Amino acid sequence: MIAREERVPRSLRRFAVPLGIILLAIAILVPLTSTDAAQQAGLPLLADKLWFRIATTVAMFVVMASAWNIIGGLTGYASFGNVAFFGLGAYTVGVLVSNRGWPFPLALIVAPLTATLFALIVGIPLLRLRGHYFAVATLGVGVAVGEVVNNLEPLGASTGLFLPIVRSDLLFFYLMLGAAALAVLSTWFILRTRFGYGLLAIRENEEAATVIGVNTTLYKVAAFCIAAALTGLAGGIFAQWNSFINQENVFAISDNVQMILMAVVGGAGTVLGPVAGAIALELIIQTLAGGGSAAVYAQIGLGVLLAVCVIFIPRGVIDFFGGQSRLSLRYLRQTLRETSA
Amino acid sequence: MSQFIQQVILGLLLGGVYVAVALGFSLVWGILNIVNLAHGALVIVGAYITWALFTRWHIDPFLSLPVDALALFVIGYGLQRGVINRIIRAPLLFTFLLTFGINLIIVSLLLLIFTADFRSVTPSYSGNGLHLGNVTIPYIRLGGLAVALLLAGALWAILNRSRIGAAILAVGADRDAAQLVGVDLRHMYALTFGIGAAFAGVAGGIISTFQSITPTAGNPYTLQAFAVVILGGLGRVSATVAGGLAFGLIEILAQSAPGLESGYANAIAFVVLVIVLVVRPRGLLGRLA
Repeated sequence: MIAREERVPRSLRRFAVPLGIILLAIAILVPLTSTDAAQQAGLPLLADKLWFRIATTVAMFVVMASAWNIIGGLTGYASFGNVAFFGLGAYTVGVLVSNRGWPFPLALIVAPLTATLFALIVGIPLLRLRGHYFAVATLGVGVAVGEVVNNLEPLGASTGLFLPIVRSDLLFFYLMLGAAALAVLSTWFILRTRFGYGLLAIRENEEAATVIGVNTTLYKVAAFCIAAALTGLAGGIFAQWNSFINQENVFAISDNVQMILMAVVGGAGTVLGPVAGAIALELIIQTLAGGGSAAVYAQIGLGVLLAVCVIFIPRGVIDFFGGQSRLSLRYLRQTLRETSA
Repeated sequence: MSQFIQQVILGLLLGGVYVAVALGFSLVWGILNIVNLAHGALVIVGAYITWALFTRWHIDPFLSLPVDALALFVIGYGLQRGVINRIIRAPLLFTFLLTFGINLIIVSLLLLIFTADFRSVTPSYSGNGLHLGNVTIPYIRLGGLAVALLLAGALWAILNRSRIGAAILAVGADRDAAQLVGVDLRHMYALTFGIGAAFAGVAGGIISTFQSITPTAGNPYTLQAFAVVILGGLGRVSATVAGGLAFGLIEILAQSAPGLESGYANAIAFVVLVIVLVVRPRGLLGRLA
C-alpha cells in the first residue's frame, strides 16, 4: 500500500490533477464560448445561455464546497453558516455598485474583506463550541444575518437589490472559474504548510493539538476566515452576474446544506473531493431541475443516492481516484463493517 | 397589560407545540447522538395521518393521536433498524447527511401522495376559545399544550420507571458497557428511534389542528426542535419542556416588542440561542457533558 503510493510523488499528483481538470474544463468550454460567432456562422449552438449558466453555477459551487472543506473537512468544524459569507459578499457588491455607484471590480475586492471581517467577529466566540453545537450556532448566525438583511431598508429590505446588468456570459464564467481555481489551490497549498498540519491535528484531536503547541484558537479562526473570504468572493461575483439579489437567493440555508453534501460526497478533507462532488451533484441537480412529477422522482433519486453514498462510500468518491482504493464489493463490505451497529 | 398576558399565554401555547416536537428529537439526539434532520418530515407524516382520518372518517384529531404514534413508531423502528444502524458509528456529519437524504425522500413521497395543496383539519370546535376578561385561549391550542405535557410525562415515565427505559439510558451512557450487560444494541437503537418518531407523529397530529399542512411544512420544525434542545439542554425531559416553553415565549414576545417588526422573530430567537450556546453551552437545565 505504502510502496505503491511512494512510486508517484504525491505532491506532483495532487498538483497535476486539479490543474489538469481546470485546463480540461477550459479546453472543452472555450470552443463553445463565442455564442455570437456561432450564431452568425449558423452553426448549431452547442453552448447556449443555459449551458453557460450551468457551467458558471458549477464553478460557483466548487468555490463554496472547497471553502467549506477548509473549515469543515480539514479542521472538522461543520459550519452551517457559510452561506452568510456568500450573502454578505453578494450584498457588499450589491450595495457598493447599485447604491454607491462603485465600479464592479473595485467592489469585488471589498466583498471578501467584509465576509472575512464578519467571520473574525463571530468566529472567535463560536469556534469555542464543538460538534452539533457549533453546527447549530453557525446555522443560527446564517438565519439571523439573512433575516436582518431582509429587514434593512438601505439594503432593499425584502425587495432585494438590483444591479446594472452586465451582459457577458464569458466574463462571469471565467471569474467563477478563477475563484474556483483559487479555492482549490488554496486548499492544496494549506495542506502543505505547518498551518495545514495544525488544522488536521485539530480535527483529529484538539486537546492533543493544544498540547503539542498548536495555537488552536488562532488556527481555527484563520481557517474560518479563509473559508469566509473565498465564499464571499463567490457571493460578490454572483451578485453582479445575477444582477438581482435578495435574502432568498443569497442566504438560502439549502445552499449551505448543498455545499456540505458536495464536499462530503466527493470526499471531505481532500483537495479534489469537493470539486468532484460539486461537479457531479450540481450537474445532477441541474438536470433534475425540470418541472412536473419527474422532478419529484428525481428528488427521491437524489435522496437515495445520498443515502447510498453516505452508507457505502463514506470517504467520498475521490477515494477511488489516484490508486488509494478500488471500487469493489470487498471495499463496500469493509466500509459498512467499520460504521454499522 | 391584558395585551401582555395574552402574548404570554400565546407564547406558552406555542411553546407547548415546540415541546411536543422537540421531545422525540431530543431523545434521539441524546441517546443515539443523531441529529435527525428528517424529524420535521416525520412530524408532517403524523399530521397527514390525522388529516386523512379526519377527512375520510371524521375522526376527531385528538382521538387519532394514538394512531399517529403507532404508525410512526413502526416507520421509525424500520428506518433505524434497516438504514441508520448501518452508519451509527460514523462521525456525526454522516448521520446528518443520511437523515437529510431520508428527509428528502419522505417529503417527495408526501408530495406524490398528497400533492402540494394546503390541507387543514377543522373540527367543529376549532374556532372556539376560553374567554377570561380580555384574554382569549383557543381550546385547540390548550388541548395541544395538554397533550405536549402528557407526552413529556410519558417520556419521563418510560425512561425512569421502566426496564426498557433503563436499557435506553444505558445505551446512551455507554454503548459498549450496555452491550456487555446483555442489551441488544440494534434493537435498542431502533426502539429509541421508534419512540422518537412516535412522539414526532403525535406532535404532527397536534400541529394539523391549527396550521395548514404541506409536505414541506415540517422543515422549520426540525430547526426549531434543534433550537429548543440547545436552549433547554440535552439529557433531561424537564430541560426539553423548559426549552420549548421558553422558545415559544421568546418568539411571541419578540414579535410584539415595540420597535421590532415581526420579521425579526427568527433572528431574535437565534441570537438568544447563540448567546445561550456561548455563555451556557449546556442549556438552561442540561447536564454537564
